[in-house]
Amino acid sequence: MTSDYKRFALTRAGQAVVVVLLAYVLTFLVISVLPGDAITNTLRDPQHGLSEEDIQRIVAFYGLDQPVIVQLLLSLGRFLTGELGFSLQSNLPVSQIVGDALPSTLTLATSALLIAIVFAVVIAYGAQYLPGKWAAIVRSIPSFFLSVPNFVIGLVLIEFFAFRLHSFTTTDPNSPVATLFAAITLAIPVSAPLAEVLIASLDHESRQEYALVARSRGLSEAKLFAKHLVKPSALPSVAMVALIVGELLGGSVITETIFGRDGIGTVVQKAVTGEDQPVLQAVVSLSAVVFVAVNLVADLASPLLDPRVKLREKVGA
Amino acid sequence: MTATLGYTQLRNVGTASKKLTAGLPPVTVILSFAVVLLVILWSLVPGFFTSFSPVTGDTASKLAAPSAAHWFGTDYLGRDQYARVVYGTASSVTSALVAVLIGLVVGSIIGLASGFRGGWLDSVLGRFVDVLLAIPGFLLAVVIVSSLGFQTINAAIATGVSAVAVFARLMRAEVMRVRSATYVEASYLEGGNRLHALIGHILPNAYRSVLVLAVLQFGTSILIIASLAFLGYGDPPPASDWGLLVASGKTYVTAPWLVYAPALVIVVTVLSVNRISRWLRKAK
Repeated sequence: MTSDYKRFALTRAGQAVVVVLLAYVLTFLVISVLPGDAITNTLRDPQHGLSEEDIQRIVAFYGLDQPVIVQLLLSLGRFLTGELGFSLQSNLPVSQIVGDALPSTLTLATSALLIAIVFAVVIAYGAQYLPGKWAAIVRSIPSFFLSVPNFVIGLVLIEFFAFRLHSFTTTDPNSPVATLFAAITLAIPVSAPLAEVLIASLDHESRQEYALVARSRGLSEAKLFAKHLVKPSALPSVAMVALIVGELLGGSVITETIFGRDGIGTVVQKAVTGEDQPVLQAVVSLSAVVFVAVNLVADLASPLLDPRVKLREKVGA
Repeated sequence: MTATLGYTQLRNVGTASKKLTAGLPPVTVILSFAVVLLVILWSLVPGFFTSFSPVTGDTASKLAAPSAAHWFGTDYLGRDQYARVVYGTASSVTSALVAVLIGLVVGSIIGLASGFRGGWLDSVLGRFVDVLLAIPGFLLAVVIVSSLGFQTINAAIATGVSAVAVFARLMRAEVMRVRSATYVEASYLEGGNRLHALIGHILPNAYRSVLVLAVLQFGTSILIIASLAFLGYGDPPPASDWGLLVASGKTYVTAPWLVYAPALVIVVTVLSVNRISRWLRKAK
C-alpha cells in the first residue's frame, strides 16, 4: 500500500510538472500570435517614456530580434529559474508587480472561498431538511447563482449597499466592508457548483443504510447531519477544489475591476490593454502553477481521506 | 420513527407517479423555451420588435426613465435602451453559438480520437486537454482575445477554445464507456469496422450527454462573452452587446435601468438555457 502510494504520488507529481511546462509553452505561443511589431510598438509608445537605451536592453533581454522558438527557450529557461522578466509598460520586474498585487487578491479569494463554503453548506442543509416546497426553492438557488454574471452581482451590491445604504464607499475599496462585498460577489458563482455537489452527495448519503440505522436509533436529523453525513458528503467537493481555484482566479479580474481593487485581476486587465506580454505570461503561468498544485494536493489527499479510492484506477486514468 | 424512515421514500414515490401522468414538460421548461424563442427572434428580426433605432437617438429625451414609449428608458444620447438590447442580441447570442460550435467540434474530435485510437495518441491528447484545463478558463479566454484583437468574434473564438477541454473529456468518456459494451464487441465479431461502430453505436449513445453539455455550455458562453464585452474586449460602441451595455450604463448612477435592463435580459436568458439543459439531463 505505502509503496503503491509512493509510486502514485511520484507519477502524479511528474505529470503535474509536465502540465505546468506545457501550459507555459501554450500561453507563450498564444501570446506571440500577436502581429510581429506589436511588442516594439508597445515599447515605443511615448506614454511609457522608455528611452532608446531601455528599449534596446529589453529587445536584447527577450531576444525580440530573434525567431519565436529562441524567444520561447529564453523565456522558459528564465521561468524555470524563477525569473519572470520585466514589464514592457513600467519597466518594473514582473515579480515585484505580482508580489505587490498578490496580498490584495489573496485576501479577496480566501474570504470568497470561506463565504462560498458557508453559502454552499447552508443551501445544501436547507435543501435536505426544509419542508417540501421550501426545499424545492432552495434547490433552485445554485442554478440561479450560475446564471447571474459576476459583474451584475457586483454592480447590484454596489448600487444597493454603497449608493443607497452607504455601508461602504467605492473610493476606499480596501476597507473591510468593501472587501466583504467584493468577496460575496466572487463567492456567489463559486458557491453554486459546490452546493450542487453537496446536495447530490447528501441525498445519496442520507439514503444509505447507516443513516437509516442511525435514525432508527433515535438520532435527530441535525445530529445525524453533523456527526455522520458531513464528512462523506464533503469528500466529493475536495475533488472540486481545483475547479474552484480556477473560478476564483478568473472571477477576480471582473470583481477587482468593478470594486476598483488593486490585485492580480487588475494587473491582468492593465497588461491586456497595454499589450504587456511578459506580465500576462507570468500571471497566466503562475495561475496554472497554483491550479496544478492545488489539484495535485487534492489528488494526493483523496486516497488518504477516503480509503475506498483505488490508486490503480487513478494512475491509469 | 417509521414516519422518518419512510419520508424520503414516500417523497420519491410521489414525484415518480407525477412524472408518469405528466405529458407536457414542466411549466418552467415551457417558459424557458418561450424565452429562448424570443431571444432567437430578437436576433433574427430585431426590426420587428422595435421601431426605434439602436444607434441614433433623440438627445432631447436623454436618460429618461422607463416608460410606455421607452420600455428600458433611454441612454445618454437619448437612444432607446430596449432597441439597443434587441439589436445587440444577434452578436451576443450568435457569438455564444460560435463558441459552443468550436468547443463541440474540436473537443469531440479530440475526444473521439483519443478514446478510439488509445495508446500514445490518447496520452498526447490527454496531456493537451490537461494543459487547457490547467489555465483558468476565463484567463485563457482573456489571453486569447487579447492576442487576436478586441472583437466580438474573437471573444467567441476565445470562449470556444476554453470550452474544448470539457467536450473532449466528455466525448472520450463516452467512447470508453460504449467501446467495451458487449453489443459493440458483437458488431466487431460480425465483421463491422471501427467507422461502423462509431456511426452506428458510439455517436448515437454519446449524442444525448453531449447535447446536454452543449446547451449548458451555451449558457456559460453567453456569460463569458458578456463578461469579455463588459471589460471592453468585444466590439466597441456603437455596438450594443449585452455586456457592453451594462458596462456603459454603469457610469450613469442616476439611471440604474441602463444597467438593470440588459443585466436582467442576460440573467433570464441564461437561466432559461440552464433550465432546458437540466430538463434534457433528467429526461435522459
